[in-house]
Amino acid sequence: MDCNNFYCSCERVFNPKLEGKPVVVLSNNDGCVIARSEEAKKLGIVMGTPAYMIEDQLRQHNVAIFSSNYTLYGDMSDRVMKTFASFVPRLEIYSIDEAFLDLHDLPYHDLLQLGVTIRKTVRQNTGIPVTVGIAQTKTLAKMANRYAKKKHKQTGVFWAANEMLTQEMLENTEVGDIWGIGHQYSMFLKRNGFNTAAEFVKAPDEWVRVNMSVVGHRMLNELKGIPSVAWEFEAPVKKNICTSRSFGKLLTRKEDIQEALCNYAAACALKLRQQKTCCNTVHIFINTNPHKTDDAQYARTINVELQSASNNTSEIIKAACQGFNIIYAKGYRFMKCGVIVMDLVPEDQIQVSLFDEADRARNKQVMAAMDKVNRSLGKEIVRFAVQGFEKKYKLRADHLSKKYTTDINQILKVKI
Amino acid sequence: METKYYQAEVKAGFPSPALDYMEERINLNDVLIQHPLSTFIIECSGDSMINAFIPPKAKLIVDKSITAQNGDIVVAVMNGDFTVKFLKKNDIKCWLIPGNSKYREIEITEEMNLQIWGVVVKIIIDPKDVRKCML
Repeated sequence: MDCNNFYCSCERVFNPKLEGKPVVVLSNNDGCVIARSEEAKKLGIVMGTPAYMIEDQLRQHNVAIFSSNYTLYGDMSDRVMKTFASFVPRLEIYSIDEAFLDLHDLPYHDLLQLGVTIRKTVRQNTGIPVTVGIAQTKTLAKMANRYAKKKHKQTGVFWAANEMLTQEMLENTEVGDIWGIGHQYSMFLKRNGFNTAAEFVKAPDEWVRVNMSVVGHRMLNELKGIPSVAWEFEAPVKKNICTSRSFGKLLTRKEDIQEALCNYAAACALKLRQQKTCCNTVHIFINTNPHKTDDAQYARTINVELQSASNNTSEIIKAACQGFNIIYAKGYRFMKCGVIVMDLVPEDQIQVSLFDEADRARNKQVMAAMDKVNRSLGKEIVRFAVQGFEKKYKLRADHLSKKYTTDINQILKVKI
Repeated sequence: METKYYQAEVKAGFPSPALDYMEERINLNDVLIQHPLSTFIIECSGDSMINAFIPPKAKLIVDKSITAQNGDIVVAVMNGDFTVKFLKKNDIKCWLIPGNSKYREIEITEEMNLQIWGVVVKIIIDPKDVRKCML
């Protein structure tokens, strides 16, 4: 399952005037184009283009521009995924707008009809259009999805139900468009005379294993219809967590940068608590804008080891500030800073240092209480003073739509 | 012989006779929203539905999963614009009917490109605004 131009589709649900019109969504800080409606694609707007480079083109064609509204996209994604989940016992959420549904052992004979029903239901219930690809393995399903977008736009569903249909799909897919084949392998395969997936699938096992390692061999099996890529029904626990962003404008004052850093540290600590892990190391980095060649350049990173693993906001912030005091330098115009928490361990397997004086149980209660208040009364109602209130570093988001589904003060207003 | 000691708290006073009968407090989300995944809340302005007890500032709970029936109050999109009206339909035609005699009924034609965005399942109004609906 793949949502069509997901971010653009989310904006359209609450702005139906944009139906049939070109729409683009920009990355954080209104940097680059990260989503395009079909109409915007037809105008030749390329993914990843910096917005300032195509300002004229956007204006000339009256393209609707949006800053990325991840609060909205996150909620819409949750609705879509849970709607998918109502049809099958097991699914793997692959990204914000993609999911694999396990159709094994289902009492349906006509999977095409099931695909059509799921698609119709998601469209009606959430307003989001999706495309469905059904096949023997995850790699083939991905390909079927792509093929559906290309050849079966009307129904939005393709089922590689038999050998003939699978062959047709393989013949119409270039090796570079196979899931997991990057630029390097794609060039390599073409040099060796494999241009389409249909040609690659006939490659000798041994040759693939020698030249493309086990990963390539796994891919080959998947294309032959032998499931070889494991399913991840639950989101894997992250090995490290990074929070970093470019500032809305260049910053020089130590306090301003520190405020941003403290907020990122707090965000990391919250994510740690959500996945019930603690970190042993806090890594921080700051840098100037390397593209501003007239500016003096400066970039530094530092690792701060914690005495005992922690997911306590105050401890993570403290460590980040200690590191920052060491690596900050006066007189530069900084563009970005970030916090990465590393060496994660499960919350219930912490080795407490001999010299650790913190009251762990009490701290945990404080954090739980803070999270609870913030959950019920709004994000960051309770926070640490160092996190500040001004947010000078705040992202540029000049074209931000409303949080239609998560904030009662920003719901859709309709003149009737 | 092994002896075990247990620590137990003894509290003074009588236990509440209601303790065995405790239930979860009423949750308005459950009462007002049947399908959380397809339910959205919108706010109205304008007086075209005032006799349907939808004054300005009313909040509507809208369920997109419901297929609109004759007589439902619907959120519709007409030529790209949102509106809220009664839906009237028979086998051949359909109309959008305002809840205010000052406004005209709209017969739906092909070129209006009408889409039903969702069905209004609950209306939330401030009692102070009710008077506006009774004029």
